[in-house]
Amino acid sequence: MLIDRTHRQWLWGSVIGLAISVVIYIPYAHFTIGGARGGTMIGILYGIVGFGFMVFAGLLSLRKRFPVWRMGRTSTWMRGHLWLGLISYPIIFLHSGFSFGKGALTWWMMVIFTIVIVSGIVGAIIQHYLPKVMTREVPYETIYAEIPVIRSQLLDEADVKVAEVTGVSMSTGAVTNAAEDAGGVIVTLVQMEEDVRNELTRFYDNDLRPFLEQPGGKGCEIANRSLSVAKFANLKTLLPDEIHPVIADLESICEEKRQLDHQIVLHRILHGWLFIHAPLSLALLLMGAIHAVIALTY
Amino acid sequence: MAPPKEITLTIDEQKVTVPAGTTIFDAARMNGIPIPTLCHQQNETPVGVCRVCVVDVGARVYTAACIREAENNMVVKTNSDKVRGARKTLVELLMADHPSPCAREQQSGDCELETLAKSYSVGTPRFAKRLTPSHQKDESSLSIMVDHSACILCDRCIRGCSEIRHNFVIARQGKGYAAAISFDADMPMGSSSCVSCGECMVSCPTGALTNKKVLGQKLEQGATLSGISVEAQELLELPVFKGVSGTFLELNKGAVVKRTYRKGEVICHEGDYGSTAFYLVEGSVDIFISTPRAHVDTEGSQEGFLSKLASKLKPRKEHQREEENTGRKFIYIDAPVDLEYDHPVAKLHAGDLFGEMTCMNFYPRSATVVAAEDVVCLEMLRNVLDVLQKNKTFRAKLDANYRARALETHLKSVPVFASLTQDFIDHLRDRVELQRFAPGQVICHQGDPADSFYLVRIGFIKVSEDHPGGELVLSYLARGNYFGEIGLLSDEGRRTATCTALDHVEVVKIHREDFREMVGRFPQVRASLEAVARDRIEENRSRMHNLQSMPVDDFLKQGLMDAQSLLVLDLDRCTRCDQCVKACADAHDGITRLIRDGLRFENYLVATSCRQCRDPLCMVGCPVGSIRRRNSLEVIIEDWCVGCGLCANNCPYGNINLHEFPAPAGSVGHKATVKKATSCNLCYDHPEPSCVYACPHDAAHRINPPEFFGQMLGGKKIEAVPYSMAPGMMDRR
Repeated sequence: MLIDRTHRQWLWGSVIGLAISVVIYIPYAHFTIGGARGGTMIGILYGIVGFGFMVFAGLLSLRKRFPVWRMGRTSTWMRGHLWLGLISYPIIFLHSGFSFGKGALTWWMMVIFTIVIVSGIVGAIIQHYLPKVMTREVPYETIYAEIPVIRSQLLDEADVKVAEVTGVSMSTGAVTNAAEDAGGVIVTLVQMEEDVRNELTRFYDNDLRPFLEQPGGKGCEIANRSLSVAKFANLKTLLPDEIHPVIADLESICEEKRQLDHQIVLHRILHGWLFIHAPLSLALLLMGAIHAVIALTY
Repeated sequence: MAPPKEITLTIDEQKVTVPAGTTIFDAARMNGIPIPTLCHQQNETPVGVCRVCVVDVGARVYTAACIREAENNMVVKTNSDKVRGARKTLVELLMADHPSPCAREQQSGDCELETLAKSYSVGTPRFAKRLTPSHQKDESSLSIMVDHSACILCDRCIRGCSEIRHNFVIARQGKGYAAAISFDADMPMGSSSCVSCGECMVSCPTGALTNKKVLGQKLEQGATLSGISVEAQELLELPVFKGVSGTFLELNKGAVVKRTYRKGEVICHEGDYGSTAFYLVEGSVDIFISTPRAHVDTEGSQEGFLSKLASKLKPRKEHQREEENTGRKFIYIDAPVDLEYDHPVAKLHAGDLFGEMTCMNFYPRSATVVAAEDVVCLEMLRNVLDVLQKNKTFRAKLDANYRARALETHLKSVPVFASLTQDFIDHLRDRVELQRFAPGQVICHQGDPADSFYLVRIGFIKVSEDHPGGELVLSYLARGNYFGEIGLLSDEGRRTATCTALDHVEVVKIHREDFREMVGRFPQVRASLEAVARDRIEENRSRMHNLQSMPVDDFLKQGLMDAQSLLVLDLDRCTRCDQCVKACADAHDGITRLIRDGLRFENYLVATSCRQCRDPLCMVGCPVGSIRRRNSLEVIIEDWCVGCGLCANNCPYGNINLHEFPAPAGSVGHKATVKKATSCNLCYDHPEPSCVYACPHDAAHRINPPEFFGQMLGGKKIEAVPYSMAPGMMDRR
């Protein structure tokens, strides 16, 4: 989410709310015998408010499960999740009297709470900056779930292009009628010398095809853009001018594959932090509920 | 002294006696002496234009035997070396411009010119071919092919059309190399008043006018399909074929098949593609739409506590036609009757024709037809139907049927005419005119005096306006629509737009006097028509304004400016969470109507989702009129969609898709699933589209393109104008 001026109302509301809480806390802490703690009336009040904010923040995932329900725009819920979730942390500290509690439950709760808040802030920062990065750096972006399909299509396209030029099927290795393989269209009738043809085939078999086959292209030199540019430039010097357009097409296919790999990386960063944030949030809510029941009962 | 009744002359050293006034040609013919000819036909007035029949009568020049009267004691040589030489040169001159082998020679091997050329041993002509033909081929007629390059201007077709058939359609025009035959005022044959009787084709000695078989189509016959090819003679005995050329039917044998169906047998299924029409000779049929009336919808969604809770939280208003005041009660189909929405079943009887639109325009079948009793019908191809439709007897019968049975329903099916009384409809019955238009034919021009009001009965009409940049398409009209009211109601009394037939169109024309009487007697009709006219004028003005204020940009030429509402994703905000897609699927029972991919510019992505185009190509051709525009904005697909897929094919942006869902038990036909077309309808039953509402990052927006792109291209980058606030949009919050 882009944190922009549309968040101002939430920001000021949160700041004011927190300020009020602090203003109340100071005399409360000063005049309470034994110091501020969770068991006092005001302490419990802070706990209720803080936990309430946490529950509201947690309800965002439920809200997203029913996106079409008219219960307030999801973007409003998201803003609430961010700001109320953020200020729940200091509120809980005010509830506990700035301690991690006396028992193991409360101690672990605070640890997990800290991780949740930190991961949430990290996630908010990621989601603020990374979409722009992805837009800028991946102009060939596609739908994430479609990447394997696109990758396969790129491979097929590259196979066909090379087969048209060399007369050898890149998928089976058999010498075929290039015109038939290309659907009856002969791209080039250039006569290439045997060693030149071999050079192209070798480059394709050793460098290009493994890169296109592999998600991520690990270990492939042409996964690096600069190296790829150099390799293709070198290839062009060896091959006749007539097939340079085909080489340019292969280079373009390579570039698209690199962008898809980059998109995968960015996508994982964009959403990967949720694997920490979401389950820990659920655990925190569960522990909070247990803590509330135990604390109020006993 | 009275002229002699008989004369005697010598033809090729043979004395012959013939009645006075006989031409040399006839005199020779009567005595078994053949004289070749090209322009002369026994049943037509001779004109002597080809000069092939020249004979030597001892005069200074040779004379044309077909027009020269024989004289007493005349000595005629028809076959001397010099005469043969003259004929050979004539034939050679004609062959120089002849596209040998011409269509007739290819089809039946009997081109008279080429036959003559062979008999006179005319090889490759010595003379140069003319550089440019005077006219191109004319393929506008459904049954006759016109190839002007093969025409030898013998005038046989002209005389056949005028003297034999009395249709007076064909004439000669131009001079020299520009001379050619023409139809009416040099119109394409298909657009002229030609009735396709075939007489010109039969008269033509070359391949200039040939029979146009419907290629690639063959009506299946035989025991397995209960169909037999009908002989021309048998067809001519049927009253509906009275006046149709027997020669034409002979030439098109196999284009009409007689079929018999037992009670309960299915004649055709809705949604199937076809190319034939059916004429009921005996018996009656049930015609109905068997596809369940539903949007893509699942049943049983109300079960369980959570579902019931969900139904309270996300209200679904079905069939909200009342708020649009359309009150549409009928489903328009390709038959003489319309189906009532609440009970979409009707009956057709002997003498009815159905499947015209499928046959003429190759649209999908609009309804399922089942034999209600044992039925005999004629299934025919397009060329035969075209000839029948132009046949006066057939047309009169169809018109009478329409006036008696369908006109009333048709009028009442148009909401603005709901208040017309029975007596007025009876008054109109014989006064309306049924007119047909060929594809591309203009029905009325912008600026013409408004003299009538039109109801669309069959086909699709394009309404357009001229403006400096070209033609601006305002809308498409299908059956159930009407036009012409603006001109008639305005003070200027002029047409404000040009209406053109997109395919084979039939309209009901109500003349100005009757229209004025109608609006005078029925103030409610007048008020409704005036309201519609106002809306149309306002809409047109708005489109013209947008067009004029639009900046022209290569990017925009990708069709975005034709959109009225685009779903745009701000990629700088979008985290690619797909909540928009999930929301769309959730709002439409698991089937999304948007794809998060498409055109990109700067940081915006134009998602693949219905654009509610100004020029909705998707609407053209719908056999049941189920895809329509709502309140000038949302394009929706009604629940009686038959799943033919034509709209999906027509949409140039791939924004309409077909989805399957199970057919209800007991539905007619063999299909276990039925297909329905789906496209974004802007979630019209909610205040805001679900995709926009559900986006957690405020990245999805429905925008008004002229506003949005206009400001962007003006250098002022703004945030996307929210859908509900975009000028010109309905504010439904």
